[in-house]
Amino acid sequence: MMSKLGVFDVSVRYGKVPALTDVTLHLEEGERVFISGPNGAGKSSLLGAISGAVATTHGRIEMDGHLLTGRAPEAIARLGLSMVPEGREIFGSLTVSENLRVGTGLRRDRGAVEGDIEEIFEAFPILGERRHASAGALSGGQQQMLAIGRALMTNPKLMMVDEPSLGLAPKIVDQVYDTLVQLQEERGLTLLIVEQSSTRAARVGGRMILLRGGSVVGDGDAAAFAEKDLLSEAYFGQSKAQPKKEAAQ
Amino acid sequence: MTSLAQLFFDAASLGGIYAMAALGIALIFGVMNLVNFAHGEYIAFCVFALIVPSTEAVAVMFLGKAPAFLLIPVLLGLGAGAAVASEYVVFRHMRKATPVAMMISSFALGFVIQNALLAVYGGRPKAISLWPDLNTPVGVLGAQVPLLQLIVVLTTLLVVCALALLLKKTRLGLEMRAAAENFTMARLLGVRANVVITGAFALSGALAAAVALIMATQTGVADVRMGGQIMLVAFIATVIGGLGSLPGAVAAGFLIGGASVLLQAFLPLEVRPFRDAFLYTLVIACLLLRPQGLFAASSAKPRI
Ligand SMILES: Nc1ncnc2c1ncn2[C@@H]1O[C@H](COP(=O)(O)OP(=O)(O)O)[C@@H](O)[C@H]1O
Ligand SMILES: [Mg+2]
Repeated sequence: MMSKLGVFDVSVRYGKVPALTDVTLHLEEGERVFISGPNGAGKSSLLGAISGAVATTHGRIEMDGHLLTGRAPEAIARLGLSMVPEGREIFGSLTVSENLRVGTGLRRDRGAVEGDIEEIFEAFPILGERRHASAGALSGGQQQMLAIGRALMTNPKLMMVDEPSLGLAPKIVDQVYDTLVQLQEERGLTLLIVEQSSTRAARVGGRMILLRGGSVVGDGDAAAFAEKDLLSEAYFGQSKAQPKKEAAQ
Repeated sequence: MTSLAQLFFDAASLGGIYAMAALGIALIFGVMNLVNFAHGEYIAFCVFALIVPSTEAVAVMFLGKAPAFLLIPVLLGLGAGAAVASEYVVFRHMRKATPVAMMISSFALGFVIQNALLAVYGGRPKAISLWPDLNTPVGVLGAQVPLLQLIVVLTTLLVVCALALLLKKTRLGLEMRAAAENFTMARLLGVRANVVITGAFALSGALAAAVALIMATQTGVADVRMGGQIMLVAFIATVIGGLGSLPGAVAAGFLIGGASVLLQAFLPLEVRPFRDAFLYTLVIACLLLRPQGLFAASSAKPRI
């Protein structure tokens, strides 16, 4: 069977610095997969390569049988891929509601846009309250919600979320993941999430792929990784997979 | 002694021209981080499109003969077309180039346009007469003001409002604002880079055509050098306003126009020929006080 997303032997380099080397991985339809690994492992570069924002130097990426490699980001978005980037990258000079509309230009069902915006406001009531406020004035957690809502407004089939927990209080992170899981169930989304904490990933549930030094070094149930990390933490005082982040949470 | 009302209209109409030219530059800078030095040549190109191509000293009106309701849209379309064509031929191939490389190619493009005009129309300035009736004075607030000045002020307001509405209320406007702030993110959301950039060039070229119509009527001259002069002032206005900031470009355009008219009116007679030296001293002072411009642009993220 053809998988939802196929990454075959993909390499990325920035000048002479290799960020990814011959990475191969597959996602099935409706799956929830976490990408984990230390800072600089190449997690964001992988998402960049899939979304078309970062050029690959080798290999090929396919979604639903369409070749993504070499396509422009806007063309890939049209195929049903949406991205919540690291650091959220919301449009601070636009209002909350304008942010949600930026990604609706590619939709054929323009009539459904208003209803979908209201749905986002139901999922994130705080965004509804501040719909006319400048997005730059939102708190970090609200910006994360806006970035997720904005990505959903393109009506994606595959959504990628890069470190949703970055810089957020644990309670807000819980809320963000609850919403992501709920939205995935409602919409049958396939989710690819960068998450450094294996315990967090295990609690949410799903498969986990471990990157290190630009290569895949592990692939399995998130719970198994979390257990291993807890063990190594007990032995070495710190988990190998997530050096500092875990302690902070 | 000229009346205050007269001074006001002089300042507002000159400022309006500068503001529109500066807007044309700021729009493209906003989405592409490109200072398009060919912008002045779009203006010159539009002025020359009014007359029959020939190197004769006497200009024969060509497009300029058409009635206003036809001439205005055709010339706006021509300006937009010229700008879009230059994007397609030159800048599209340089999207990944550094801002400096792009700026230099815009210089080169400007020279190409200017020399093409030279070859076709000759180097001598030509007298043209477009809508001469508009230079008849009308009485406003006790001053005798050429009708054209009133029209320029109103046109500028209209253009600025229309542009603001377009940016605020249309799909293209939303995409342009998003792309100006973070081009990569906009593309990740499906915003087509080509549509946004073509849109920005079309608007910019139409603004150049509007400036061309006003300058042709006001000065009554078609000169291949006119593009460079207006470009210089407009570029300074975009820098003072904060590169990429549209409100900044408008405000700085009016500011420079106003300062120029006031200096002309109030400098002692013997130093008046050096008006521009005073003007540019003010410009330097302005940049020393606020190097980021009066209105700093929301962001200057790399394009694409
Ligand atoms: N724009 C860039 N230019 C140069 N090097 C980069 C760039 N982005 C990332 N890198 C390098 O590529 C490697 C992988 O980075 P990244 O994909 O951001 O990792 P992660 O998201 O796992 O922290 C790192 O060594 C990083 O320094
Ligand atoms: Mg990262």
